Amino acid sequence: MRARVIGLGQAAAGDDGVGLAVLDALREHGVPADVELVRAAEDVALVALLETCAPVVLVDAVLGTPTGEVLDLAPSELARRGPRSVSTHGLGVPEAVELARTLAPDTVSPAVRVVAVTIQRPTAYAQCLSPAVAAAVPRAVARVLGLVGG
Amino acid sequence: MSDGTTRTIKVGYLARVEGEGGLTVTVRRGRVEEVRLEIFEPPRFFEALLRGRSFAEAPDITARICGICPIAYQMSAVHAMEDALGVHVEGQLRALRRLVYCGEWIESHTLHVYMLHAPDFLGYPDAIAMARDHRETVQRGLRLKKAGNAIVALLGGREIHPVNVRVGGFYRVPERAELSPLADELAWARDAALETVRWVAGFEFPDFEPDYEFVALRHPDEYPMNEGRIASTAGLDVTAQEYEAHFVEDHVAHSNALQSRLRARGAYLCGPLARYALNAERLSPLARATARAVGLGPVCRNPFRSIVVRAIEVLHACDEALRLIAAYEPPPRPFLDVAPRAATGCAATEAPRGLLYHRYRLAADGAIEDAKIVPPTSQNQKSMEEDLARFVAPRLALPRDELTLRCEQAVRNYDPCISCATHFLRLRIDEA
Repeated sequence: MRARVIGLGQAAAGDDGVGLAVLDALREHGVPADVELVRAAEDVALVALLETCAPVVLVDAVLGTPTGEVLDLAPSELARRGPRSVSTHGLGVPEAVELARTLAPDTVSPAVRVVAVTIQRPTAYAQCLSPAVAAAVPRAVARVLGLVGG
Repeated sequence: MSDGTTRTIKVGYLARVEGEGGLTVTVRRGRVEEVRLEIFEPPRFFEALLRGRSFAEAPDITARICGICPIAYQMSAVHAMEDALGVHVEGQLRALRRLVYCGEWIESHTLHVYMLHAPDFLGYPDAIAMARDHRETVQRGLRLKKAGNAIVALLGGREIHPVNVRVGGFYRVPERAELSPLADELAWARDAALETVRWVAGFEFPDFEPDYEFVALRHPDEYPMNEGRIASTAGLDVTAQEYEAHFVEDHVAHSNALQSRLRARGAYLCGPLARYALNAERLSPLARATARAVGLGPVCRNPFRSIVVRAIEVLHACDEALRLIAAYEPPPRPFLDVAPRAATGCAATEAPRGLLYHRYRLAADGAIEDAKIVPPTSQNQKSMEEDLARFVAPRLALPRDELTLRCEQAVRNYDPCISCATHFLRLRIDEA
């Protein structure tokens, strides 16, 4: 496997689902056969998905302004930069990565990147993305493909 | 604390509770005046989304309500639809539904026990800090959870938002050989679950035993998952069709969730403590003996001790899953034929967090005209608020940080699922 791309988010909470929308767009666009596209139901599922020797790219929504920016971050930068992940329950992406590295330091992917799209805090349930966040999806797709060599 | 001044103390969010909500404790002249738990509740959104859709779509749509317990939503949906359409699923199809529910109980409870609850008792801020000192224990928890996930992935068709459950049965049923790897891992999981019970039973628990009215399904022969009458420790004993005659939902100003109460008596509690109180004698022999060995009486009223009851239910679910797999023979057909008709159907099943009630009204062509979904968290909300008021009152003299931590722990006891929107629970103490 060349790389694993993991989408995170809740599609019913509007922009919180942007990570899943990027994953769908990647599937539609097509990725090299040895790039795996998966969804993580929640943070703890992420821990097992990080156990691979291949590079991992997480695609997720983060709170931040302006809306619709595409960021390419190290997991630890999510906490340092301020925007906090709002997808998957509870633990959060940087915490899940840290937990995985604590539990299995030798088997966790040595290269984990986060392609994040900035969103406003979702306040209502919606199944579609806001225009600014939807417009960011192709840019996020390009960023992911750049990272996995697609 | 001083009269005449109001102070708002922001104490951050409860990082280990799913979903978004807020907890505000109002203290006036040293007395707890009000506790408000704000919940942003997704099922209401889904009720609107379901209207006009086909009855056959309900299991797939409702599975998206929660990433942790999609099977519970599917199970309540299919049983309510089958009630409306006059179908009764029996034999191996019924057994497979019970098996997939075992998987969800194992994964959901294990997540709560290891990642959310245990760090509170061992004095760690989170599971990561706990993992640094208890690496093998946390690894055991992750593997145990994965054993549950594997059942859901196999029978649900995939792990996230399972798609294989349908009204009348399943789209596809497994061959016997497909279940063998599950059984191998479940044999390990049963031992791990036993270790888990012994581990959590050794924690120290504060003295706190509210006089709950427990509400859960009760079944004559089995620890309930999909079937049974709705019973309570105060003598309620009704069918799912009678649910709305006995339970009522109120709008509360501080929350977009509805709060449930018993028409006759008010607050009640559902979930593991309630299931255990009403069904302990129907646990598997191993789970029953283990509960006795670790000192759980026939009823456990201490919500902090719910971690032990969850661990017992994981043990039971492993045992039950192994029993179901050993007795499995593929059914002749994966589903029963179901014909639409104008009707109303209801069902309640036991989600990991407690009773999950669904009601659907269908048109003659099977289109959903009306849907009602009452999740366990909104049923428990009133009890949670009353408990928090009772819990905080004698602890007001504690340093603010410690009181905050205790409040967080108290909320986590109930494993509230306020998931699937954004993911924060802010705690605020307003002091006047």
